[in-house]
Amino acid sequence: MAEALFKIAVSAMSGRRNRLKIFPALTLAVFLLPILVGLLFTWAPAFGYLSAAGSNRFSLEPFATLLHHPSLPGALRSTIISGIGASLMSLGLALWIAATLYGSRLWSTIELSLAPLLSLPHAAFAIGFSFLIAPSGWLIRSVSPFPSGFTYPPDWTTNGDPWAISLTLTMLFKETPFLLLMIFSGLSRLDVRRTIWVGRSLGYHRLRIWTRLIIPQLYPMLRLPLLAVLAYSLSVVDLAYIIGPSLPPTLAVLIDRWFHDSDISSRFGGAAGALLLLLLTLAGIGSALALEYLISKIASRKILDGRRKSPFELLVGSGSFYALILLGVNVLSLTALMLWSVAHSWRFPYFFPARFSLSNWSAALRHLLEPVSVSALAAFLSCLLAIILVVGCFENEQNLARSRIDSISQRSLWIIYLPLLIPQISFLFGIQVLLIIFNLEGSWGSLIWIHLVFVLPYVFLTLANTYRSYDQRYSYVGTTLGARPVRSFFRVKLIMLTKPILFSMAVGFGVSIAQYLPTLYVGAGRFATITTETVSLASGSDRRVMAVYALSQFLLALTGFLTAIVLPAIMFRNRREMQN
Amino acid sequence: MVYLPRRLLSIVIVMLFLIVCQDPAKARDWTEILAAARGQTVYFNGWGGSEVINRYISWAAEQVGQRYGVTVKHVKVADIGDVVSRILAEKSGGRTSGGSVDLMWINGENFHAMKNNGLLFPAYTQLFPNYPLVDTENKVSTLFDFTVPVDNQESPWGMAQLVFLYDSEIVTDPPADMRELLQFSQNNKGRFTYPAPPDFYGTTFIKQALLELTTDRELLYTPVDSARFEAVTAPLWEFLDSLHPHLWRSGKAHPKSAPEMKRLLADREIFMSLSFNPAEASNAIATGELPESIRTYVHKGGTIGNTHFLAIPFNSSAQEGAMVLADFLLSPEAQARKSDPSIWGDPTVLALAKLSPEQRTLFDTIPLGVATLSPEELGPVILEPHASWVTAIEKEWLRRYSK
Repeated sequence: MAEALFKIAVSAMSGRRNRLKIFPALTLAVFLLPILVGLLFTWAPAFGYLSAAGSNRFSLEPFATLLHHPSLPGALRSTIISGIGASLMSLGLALWIAATLYGSRLWSTIELSLAPLLSLPHAAFAIGFSFLIAPSGWLIRSVSPFPSGFTYPPDWTTNGDPWAISLTLTMLFKETPFLLLMIFSGLSRLDVRRTIWVGRSLGYHRLRIWTRLIIPQLYPMLRLPLLAVLAYSLSVVDLAYIIGPSLPPTLAVLIDRWFHDSDISSRFGGAAGALLLLLLTLAGIGSALALEYLISKIASRKILDGRRKSPFELLVGSGSFYALILLGVNVLSLTALMLWSVAHSWRFPYFFPARFSLSNWSAALRHLLEPVSVSALAAFLSCLLAIILVVGCFENEQNLARSRIDSISQRSLWIIYLPLLIPQISFLFGIQVLLIIFNLEGSWGSLIWIHLVFVLPYVFLTLANTYRSYDQRYSYVGTTLGARPVRSFFRVKLIMLTKPILFSMAVGFGVSIAQYLPTLYVGAGRFATITTETVSLASGSDRRVMAVYALSQFLLALTGFLTAIVLPAIMFRNRREMQN
Repeated sequence: MVYLPRRLLSIVIVMLFLIVCQDPAKARDWTEILAAARGQTVYFNGWGGSEVINRYISWAAEQVGQRYGVTVKHVKVADIGDVVSRILAEKSGGRTSGGSVDLMWINGENFHAMKNNGLLFPAYTQLFPNYPLVDTENKVSTLFDFTVPVDNQESPWGMAQLVFLYDSEIVTDPPADMRELLQFSQNNKGRFTYPAPPDFYGTTFIKQALLELTTDRELLYTPVDSARFEAVTAPLWEFLDSLHPHLWRSGKAHPKSAPEMKRLLADREIFMSLSFNPAEASNAIATGELPESIRTYVHKGGTIGNTHFLAIPFNSSAQEGAMVLADFLLSPEAQARKSDPSIWGDPTVLALAKLSPEQRTLFDTIPLGVATLSPEELGPVILEPHASWVTAIEKEWLRRYSK
């Protein structure tokens, strides 16, 4: 690893003729070193080393404690069910919706609703969804007291069930829109309309066209997003607190709890658990890749069997059903939050609040200004840096492709996805110690850097397909008309790509706003963001205040997306071809 | 004969005075601290889950800013353990001064852990002008935090006593002890629960049950004795084994915290909940969070009570400012405001008898609140068992019920 880094550095410095080389090197430097050191510093207590707790010798005891912990088997069970279940199901659901609905009106509705769907923060959705499905929640209220006969909520286990099914569903509904976004962006690189046209004219059923022709081309672009979803679902903490099982909780919650237990020696178990979670995630990623390999082996033998019909044809109609459920659940959860934010009291079995009040908002507004502006600034700056680095990397990539050079730094770029594939809690404690040693914690610089670590991969992911499919000939025209390449880049290419660039920035903006643990570990309490405030209120009891903060979080993220939609519309109001 | 000792005495006094003056720690009198505090920024880290409390703290921050020129930033956290973790990380990183936390809201096991690991600033509360007003005589928990000596390393902030909330619209005759609670649960299946440990409300409920049921209460006030642990706690597990099948969701799931129970109570999923703040029901009725029908009750043999504190970490970068804030929060004015149920309703740590008549009227005019028990009804306070019991009980509870 060190050698590779050295080579990257050398090649970056020696490449005087190609200044773009600096971008992949810089991008990697932002990620690789800190995360590796963060991991190492977290592993130290896992092996019994934590000087502040007066322990300076190597031991395997933390692992023994971890493995003998009574909650471990149950925690592993619910982690695996929810992690694997949610990621596979959301991939299946997203692909099924795409295959059955592509080109329909509902498909365009989904495309339009992606921005608000993605803006709804995970925790906010979980609070709303939990209220929807709870025994005292909205669904049961809609049939109570008549016709269900419930004057009191039934003693059922719906939200927070021991099998983590409600947690799995929460993540399913939250991750599917993200995978749909990736599908939309992936499809933009494929000539889907003509593929379908050819398939249809050869008599293939719609589903067959997708499984035989489109998905094999599309999947490579979904692989990383899927793995990111998998790693996220295995290690998510805030959602698991809100709607996950309690006895025992998921592994990530268990670890998080150990990291802030009053008993300082719990940090050892926490660190060991963080390492176990990392291994579990790697195993999950490995199995996903193995599964992919297996499926592609089996499928590639069948790909030319010429079968036109699919056994699932009858189920095609279910696509719109699932899509409506997906949209419906999101809309209902959001509506529930809105109602709670203006409720004064709202007990079971009332379907609507018995008394409304605007005081939740008016009381909060005074306190919202600071966290909202801190969030907005951190998100804007990290997005800006991310987009500069990402565009630089893509430009370098295109340069290299033109001159047919294979560079190490370019090949190592997958490393920027590390933050998405490694559980946050497995390196944040280490990063915190590292920053403290260098006296950097709690500064704007480190806050923006840690946000950048998580924002950049998402910006990279969302921009990659459109950026790479840009027709370079437009820029050549610019150059042949006498512009220098730089000018042609800024005046032609960047302008033509404004829309996807802004959209990927909006995704990054939302990602930055949602960061909780990184802000907590790096911010040293100096930065109150809308998310840290929301999570701390979520540890309280007042759903009304929680709703106000969660909605503010949503509105801030939505502002990012709206800007990304409205700004190009204004910029290109006189350019018909740029409208879409 | 009389002359000599007197002279001796004065010599001793003078010498003592000299010693006191030479001791750098004690040389600082309050005016010096006030002067040093001016212009400092205090990062006050505390649980931020309650808007009511957050609003009270922002009032105090304004006051301290106006009066003493100290800027207070309230860092709201979901769990104070995060902050303990951060201070620990700072110690690991060799940060012995210039730390990120100046004052924190803390008690019990967290205090115990921080004290044991040298994460606290040395004794200072004896310097506070308002400290002599603390009711250390009758409120023993202001001196012993879960039996661990406070040693002036944390400043008392508020009193807590375990109370139960119930919906009087549904429950007419609330249980008077653990046995009756079991009976209630059997008759009303699924309508009571308690948070899963390590949530401290869950742990407190279990400790309350243990204190009520054990035959050897005294033993709980000494460090845990593993040899006798099983015998002492046997009645507790027997009780919980019979209680659990009748709890909310048949005891297969527990709420994660007392605030979550408060939500369940408001939602009518459960009929009874618990709190550490005797005025919580009144406050929640005032804000509309709980319905008017909620009332408070306690068990007849008394319930666990403790004190919550404010502590300065060893590496605070604004110790003087933190002291000024902690002292202000101890002042009769701030304590009276805090105990008003329409504001927060957190009981005071001060002794009313030690206050001047004007100061006492601040407290006299506070209404009790519609659902708050009077001091007589609240009954005796049972002290917290030794902090080491918590870990042992939690461990055993997890072994038995968290699978």
